Amino acid sequence: MIILEDIHKVYLRKKVETTALKGVSLQVDKGDIFGVIGYSGAGKSTLVRLVNYLERPTSGKVIVDGQLLSDRSAHELRQIKKDIGMIFQHFNLLESKTIYQNVAMPLILSKKGKKEIKERVTELLAFVGLSDKANSYPNELSGGQKQRVGIARALASNPKILLCDEATSALDPQTTQSILDLLKKVNNEYGITIMLITHEMSVIQKVCNKVAVMEEGEIIEQGSVLDVFGHPKHTTSKNFVQTVVRTEIPANIKRKLAEREVSTLAKLEMVGDHATEPVLQALINTFHLDVSVVFTNMTEIQDTTLAIWYLQIEGKESDKRAAWQFLEEQNVRYEEVTV
Amino acid sequence: MFDTNITLNQFVEAIGDTFYMVGMSLLLGTIIGTIFGILIVVTKPGGIIPFPIVYMILNPIINIIRSVPFIILIVALIPFTRSIVGTSIGNNAAIVPLIIFITPFIARLVENSLLEVGPGIIEAAESMGATPFQVIWHFILPEAFGSLILSLTTATISLVGASAMAGTVGAGGVGNIAIVYGYQRFDSFAMFSTVVILIIIVQVIQSTGNKLARMIRRN
Ligand SMILES: Nc1ncnc2c1ncn2[C@@H]1O[C@H](COP(=O)(O)OP(=O)(O)O)[C@@H](O)[C@H]1O
Ligand SMILES: [Mg+2]
Repeated sequence: MIILEDIHKVYLRKKVETTALKGVSLQVDKGDIFGVIGYSGAGKSTLVRLVNYLERPTSGKVIVDGQLLSDRSAHELRQIKKDIGMIFQHFNLLESKTIYQNVAMPLILSKKGKKEIKERVTELLAFVGLSDKANSYPNELSGGQKQRVGIARALASNPKILLCDEATSALDPQTTQSILDLLKKVNNEYGITIMLITHEMSVIQKVCNKVAVMEEGEIIEQGSVLDVFGHPKHTTSKNFVQTVVRTEIPANIKRKLAEREVSTLAKLEMVGDHATEPVLQALINTFHLDVSVVFTNMTEIQDTTLAIWYLQIEGKESDKRAAWQFLEEQNVRYEEVTV
Repeated sequence: MFDTNITLNQFVEAIGDTFYMVGMSLLLGTIIGTIFGILIVVTKPGGIIPFPIVYMILNPIINIIRSVPFIILIVALIPFTRSIVGTSIGNNAAIVPLIIFITPFIARLVENSLLEVGPGIIEAAESMGATPFQVIWHFILPEAFGSLILSLTTATISLVGASAMAGTVGAGGVGNIAIVYGYQRFDSFAMFSTVVILIIIVQVIQSTGNKLARMIRRN
């Protein structure tokens, strides 16, 4: 649906060059909720603005729905933009117009008839749960409601893609949750592909199926959310994952462990059904190992469970080796760690 | 009762003259000034239709005219005025320099008002595939409307002040009474009452403008 190929973007302002993107490639498939996470200034906004050509790449290809955007005329690009909705951190609603008029705007721009506009806007306001606010003005609405209007407006022209630039960053956690639920509904019911940008890993955790981690204009890691959350490779990814899933042993437990004699400290990582399987019993009963749980964490991601166990294991080397074998067969990721 | 040579009729006529001059020059100045203001904003480097040449021509012209004091503008424009209205004295002759005076001022005020519309609004418009004309018409102008009304209020008040100098070219108006009777003939009553009338006119314009702007901004 969206393909970015080796994108470089250099901004030139007042003769100062800023390199915002350094060879970024990614692919977003139809139906994905693709998350891009990174710290401020990583180049996320630049990246997402390339998709609807608000920003042109200095080099590289942007292909949306099979069309290479650089080949398109200004007129064609405007048509393509109508197939791509966008919502923003600060909502960017017209303060001088009612909620109804705001949502109707994309249809007015496309010169749709009054009756058609009315039907569509009424339907959209119902979809986002704001039917009673049609005649209100944006400044009478809460942040969450404003973002709902933003979503309704973005959906007005029946887009195939929805771009979200920090759409929940100005909202409190509870409102964020409700907006994320709404985005999921947009994805499910309308089959709209979503690309969202955030600096909060919890947002990725709650709605995305794929994620790309950005740092200083580069994608340092990308993959399925379960993979990246399960075993982030890059330090920055690890830090992001840490904010929602404790994959490391807390410091106070580490201190206590250091005082003890521990022969083997193992980190087990289980995803999905495995997470709930009685692996622990097997280690104790079948392999006669002495197992104590040092630290454990379970997180729900994408409706599956990701479980991380830190186990202190004592026993015969041969038994341990047999146990590792067993874990491998069970598709449990296993890693010996030191404190 | 008062020691004055001035009649009520003269006052009424003078107020009528002031409104006529201010009204005409405001109307034309607003049309041209708004167009120039929009042009400056959109053709600016980084604007929605960058067109450096238009910007580089308009911008200094506006600055140059704005730096000429109105009284000098009136005199300097006499030949031009005569070629347009056929005479260089009277109310109609005063309107020409008033328009030339107020247009660049309005252009600047409009520019400022339009620039108040945040880049986010324009970004949203462009993300919807709006044409540059649609961006201006459906987004920037409605969002700036309240502020534009306040700008025009300021411009109108400036015009009231400037029109008082129109007596120089034989035009009427409230300011003219102040000069001819109050200043030249030491008629303190004329002087005092014209000042009061001017104060009232300015107050009414300002509070009407404020009220309008508030109405627009709320709803
Ligand atoms: N219009 C612009 N002109 C110049 N530099 C810009 C512009 N937009 C972004 N940048 C620079 O590009 C880099 C990436 O910015 P951005 O894409 O906004 O990052 P993020 O959204 O991840 O915070 C930053 O260093 C920023 O200063
Ligand atoms: Mg950003």
